[in-house]
Amino acid sequence: MDIFITGYGVISAIGKNVEENFSSLIQEKTAIKQGLKSFTSKFKVGEIGLSNDALKVEFDLKTDGSRTALLGMVAAKEAFKNHSHFEALRTGLISGTSVGGMDISEVEYRNEMAGEKPNYKKYFHHPSGTTSEQIALELGITGFVNTISTACSSAANAIMMGARLIQSGQLDRVVVGGTDCLTQFTIYGFRSLMIFDDEWCKPFDNSRKGLNLGEGAGFLVLESKKSLEITGKEVLAKLSGWSNASDAYHQTASSPDGDGAILSMKQALKQARLEPHEINYVNAHGTATPNNDLSESKAFINVFNGKVPPFSSTKSYTGHTLAASGGIESVFAILSIQNSMLFPNLNHTTPIEETGLIPIKNIQKNSEVTHVLSNSFGFGGNNSTLIFSKI
Amino acid sequence: MYYIHKIASITHQDSFNQTDVNDSLVEITEDAVLISPDYKKYILPASLRRLSPILRMAVAAAKECQEAITIPFEAISVGTALGCLTDTEKFLNVINTVEGEILSPTAFIQSTHNTISGLISLELKNHSYNMTHTQNNLSLEMALIDSMLCCDEGKDFVLLGVADEAIDFLNKLKPIVLPENSIVTSGTTFFALSKKKSKSEIGFKACRSIIKAKDIEVDIDLFLRELKIEINEIDRIYTNQNSLDYPKEMVVNYEAYSGLYFTANAFGVHLAHDWLIKEAKKYALIVNSGCNNSLGLILLKNDKA
Repeated sequence: MDIFITGYGVISAIGKNVEENFSSLIQEKTAIKQGLKSFTSKFKVGEIGLSNDALKVEFDLKTDGSRTALLGMVAAKEAFKNHSHFEALRTGLISGTSVGGMDISEVEYRNEMAGEKPNYKKYFHHPSGTTSEQIALELGITGFVNTISTACSSAANAIMMGARLIQSGQLDRVVVGGTDCLTQFTIYGFRSLMIFDDEWCKPFDNSRKGLNLGEGAGFLVLESKKSLEITGKEVLAKLSGWSNASDAYHQTASSPDGDGAILSMKQALKQARLEPHEINYVNAHGTATPNNDLSESKAFINVFNGKVPPFSSTKSYTGHTLAASGGIESVFAILSIQNSMLFPNLNHTTPIEETGLIPIKNIQKNSEVTHVLSNSFGFGGNNSTLIFSKI
Repeated sequence: MYYIHKIASITHQDSFNQTDVNDSLVEITEDAVLISPDYKKYILPASLRRLSPILRMAVAAAKECQEAITIPFEAISVGTALGCLTDTEKFLNVINTVEGEILSPTAFIQSTHNTISGLISLELKNHSYNMTHTQNNLSLEMALIDSMLCCDEGKDFVLLGVADEAIDFLNKLKPIVLPENSIVTSGTTFFALSKKKSKSEIGFKACRSIIKAKDIEVDIDLFLRELKIEINEIDRIYTNQNSLDYPKEMVVNYEAYSGLYFTANAFGVHLAHDWLIKEAKKYALIVNSGCNNSLGLILLKNDKA
């Protein structure tokens, strides 16, 4: 069964909407820079330069929530704009997040530790499930609401879950994606893992040192054929394949040969009934950590039988937006199909010694893009792959 | 039907590996503690030391389910409302006290919701589909809906489980965020599910999640009507609601035994499952009503009755 994509929305460091993100991608313009907040100022991050209050005003948000929820509302609203509510359609929302309302909780918790009078009401916003309920409320979606939390593959898994619910006939239309804001919790967490690059991250480069974190949200609207007949929406692309597999190797590290990644990509290709050579562009997970990029590169060589298609990591533009990355990069995958363009991997000079793979280094216009494969790999060995196809 | 081939619960009741979990039930009190099995049977001592209560109990329950079916699960679907709170709080303390120095990553690594399902895949060496759902008090329903989908998509055996843990901090949130008189507890329940008939022939017939329920009794009627079942065919209702408009003798409040955690309805399923076997009854309905008027409905059926 075909899963049609009829809406997309994104907010990231490189732009507040799809158009701005696209423009930055074409101009090869990263937005990663020294952080503006007390807990980001020591690092290079992909930060969105709008306060929570500014977000509420600029995007006319009526629902209160954590920064994670607010960013989610912005991208989900853009995806769902011009969509109406229909009695006959079962519409749902599935969002991925890893931090939920931690941005609020960590401040309250610290204040209480410092002896300030606590405001326990604020913890209402904490649960990840609540962020999705708030996004759904803002969109007026009152049917099915679910939250996926599989670290950095959360949004990809939310998209997959939505597709499967449409396929099984339980939903007709579903808003899917993910959102995460920068928090002290995650900044310090990744610092404790010692996988930050103090400079601009260099995905797939031999001298890569680690990642830059980012924040943002990316959402799609998926519809069944039946739903399309009612909504009459224009189809942007199709979601033709998906897969989720477990690396089962280590709590945080990827297996040296990318076993989980291989499984995930192979199963997604099989489901899309595509041969590896039919993939025109791979939007890699490509966090720029020594471990991920080597493991993912080896998995590419395995899956594509040595003939690896053009690939890049757009995390060199946005930073690694964790649970949102699969949503944001799905939007980029669709932009690639719509505009026949391949987006580059910034900051690359030297290929990884063991694999010799060279990512796309400059914007490639007038490229025939029919099928795009997008990877999202999470902590805990949660590997996911999505395949987008031209309509 | 999605048959239950094994249930394993670790709760504040003596529930782990009991033939009938109803036999030894006592009403929950403030001083009730989590009744844990000997974790050394399930987890290597070196790992055990690092693991928080939620991870220990989930791994032990998952391994019991794996042992019962012997062949590998083809999917793992976990639900948790609040995730790994012990490690989350631990890391919050770390970042606020050891500014500037090298931080230990263990608490951070083990703070994410998917640590539970990820660790299970590691411990079971399982490379299959692996998902973590977190939808407040509807987290079991979400993980169950996913498990049912996995079965429908052709997966043979699916590991479905929920886990939530209490930390002292939660008590501070009463009565503002949590109900005033609640006893906050921990618990986990894991199920081995398959479309293949189990020995008990009891399984999940249907599941419904409703984000904004208007009237619980009306929503129950609608749910049953779609399944072409009358309310008087339901032998028992297991719920966390005290005010349901049904005859008292057919309603059991599971929270009186589990205490409050947001996936405790899974323990309600366990109680219902064992009761259906013992009494040879046909239908039990688990009614899970939460904050914000959300409602989860799960129907269990006994094919033998």
